Amino acid sequence: MFLKRQMPTIIAISVGLFILFGHFINYEPIQHFVDNDATQWFDIIASFAIFLGALNMLKLQVLKVAKKQKNWQYSILAILGFAFAIFAGFFFRGANYVNLTEIDPDKVTQLITHISTIQDIKDPLLMKKSINSSLADYEIPKIFISRSNANHFAGLVSGLATDVTVGSKPWGAHVQIEGSLFSWMFFKVFTPLSSTMFALLAFFVASASYRAFRIRNFEATLLLVAGIILMIGRVPVGELIPWWVVSTLIVFGFGALIAPLIMDKKILFGIIFCGFFASIGLGIIFDWSLAVNTPEILSITNISEWIFDYPTAAGSRAIMIGIALGIIATSFRIILGIEKPF
Amino acid sequence: MNNKLLLIGIVSFIIIFVYWLGYGLLFVEGNSATFIGIILVSSTIFFYIDAARSGKEIYLRPIAGLKAIEEAVGRATEMGKSVLFVPGISDMDQVDTVAGINILGHVAEITAKYETDLNVPTCRAIVMESARESCRESYLRAGRPDLYYDDIVHYISDDQFAYAAGVNGVMIREKPAACFYQGKFYAESLLLAETGNSIGAIQIAGTGSASQIPFFVTACDYTLIGEEFFAASAYLSNKPELIGSIKGQDIVKFMVIVIMITVFVFDTVRQMGLLDFNILTFLGLN
Repeated sequence: MFLKRQMPTIIAISVGLFILFGHFINYEPIQHFVDNDATQWFDIIASFAIFLGALNMLKLQVLKVAKKQKNWQYSILAILGFAFAIFAGFFFRGANYVNLTEIDPDKVTQLITHISTIQDIKDPLLMKKSINSSLADYEIPKIFISRSNANHFAGLVSGLATDVTVGSKPWGAHVQIEGSLFSWMFFKVFTPLSSTMFALLAFFVASASYRAFRIRNFEATLLLVAGIILMIGRVPVGELIPWWVVSTLIVFGFGALIAPLIMDKKILFGIIFCGFFASIGLGIIFDWSLAVNTPEILSITNISEWIFDYPTAAGSRAIMIGIALGIIATSFRIILGIEKPF
Repeated sequence: MNNKLLLIGIVSFIIIFVYWLGYGLLFVEGNSATFIGIILVSSTIFFYIDAARSGKEIYLRPIAGLKAIEEAVGRATEMGKSVLFVPGISDMDQVDTVAGINILGHVAEITAKYETDLNVPTCRAIVMESARESCRESYLRAGRPDLYYDDIVHYISDDQFAYAAGVNGVMIREKPAACFYQGKFYAESLLLAETGNSIGAIQIAGTGSASQIPFFVTACDYTLIGEEFFAASAYLSNKPELIGSIKGQDIVKFMVIVIMITVFVFDTVRQMGLLDFNILTFLGLN
């Protein structure tokens, strides 16, 4: 019971306090432990823990197929994907390269022609220069997934150099080299699928914005107006909106704000019309059509920047301060062992 | 009470005094403001924890999102559907995830009491193990250890969008009646919340990721914003020492507001040329 209950608490408290005060202690080994070792310990533990996760995922999918639970067909795909990733990572390296030793300088153009059959060459002159600078030992820039393709290409270029060899990139490094089976899986299957998920965000943002911007109350209206101003202010067309459009919008916005306070609609419309004509009249008198004369408030770009720099920054900083204090209090509770999520 | 306040004050003063004596020798130079801040904040929170333990009544304002947790699980029970709990995509080194796992404990206790299915897909293996531990404890506390099995908490993927796709798949296939998103979230927040919205689930979110709060507010029924999220487990547990820490946190917030106003006033007066005293330099912030 001690090992299961008290021991984790003792470890959490002592390590927590040590890491916290380690930041302030002027002793190199402690600083090094806090800044590097502690985080590396976490990474090592997390790396081992991935086996637990992977095995759990595999177990659930296999059980689903074995028991033919609802939608078990999807689990076959998951198992096959898992098996393929293991195969590409640990059993099939790919990443075969062709290396030429002592290339005949007269046959460089011929070599480039051969390379162009397997790879797009953007700048043949640059490639020629690169080959000429390493005639003694040159590796073809194309990496082959299959060994037979690499051998076939080596056969094609065998007469252009003294020695042509086919090799494979080392294990481990192969996962990051374009041309290995693993990187093919990553770039041709995984990345497009991830991008698809990410792209879905655009549609979800649209549907979420629609709900948020529906005018239900004063706050939603404010959100709608601020949102529209920000959107228009952040696109080039926002700068082209003339001063009289902005001044009219401001007058109408002011009218909407005071509307609930004025019961008599005639007075309200009177105020709005007076405001409208007054703003237009002021614009004509002071020649606001000239950019230098236009007050800053009559530019959508300026208004959007103001919204972003002041009310938005103030609100988000208030939330950030609350979050920071929440994090401190939660950490404090955990370090002192008052709250034990483990 | 006053004796304890005095004692905590003296201990804090001694720690700061020792720090001052060893400044530059024993202790690193340049972060004295942080050190003093930590000591002041910690002693304030500790004082209120101690006060709460001694039986002092502490009022917590009602938080709609937390009150709705039981309601949401109840709704799932009535509909005969499951409850989905998403603890975010970060590991246990993030306080948000730790806070999320704390809330999971409370949710699991309610699902155990109501005999409702709980589904916790995780993005990290360490989170999976911690969540299992938390759920096991909760089922035990609720007197229903027979309902607990390890696969309540399961692993999907370490990758952000693979995880989002997996959780969305679970939502679409199983159609849970209540979805909880409590933890650290990034771009996947809206993918999850909108999918949950489309299946008509009651959704309660909580996160410390400031940039994701607007998405959750838009798509979820209730959102725990900022410190509400970190206070949730203390609020739900009703333990005096945890509630005391929230009170301490609020007092620190008040102190921060006072400091901000003081700095603003002093700096404005200095910039107007009426005072030759730079408060920012004095506080070591400039």
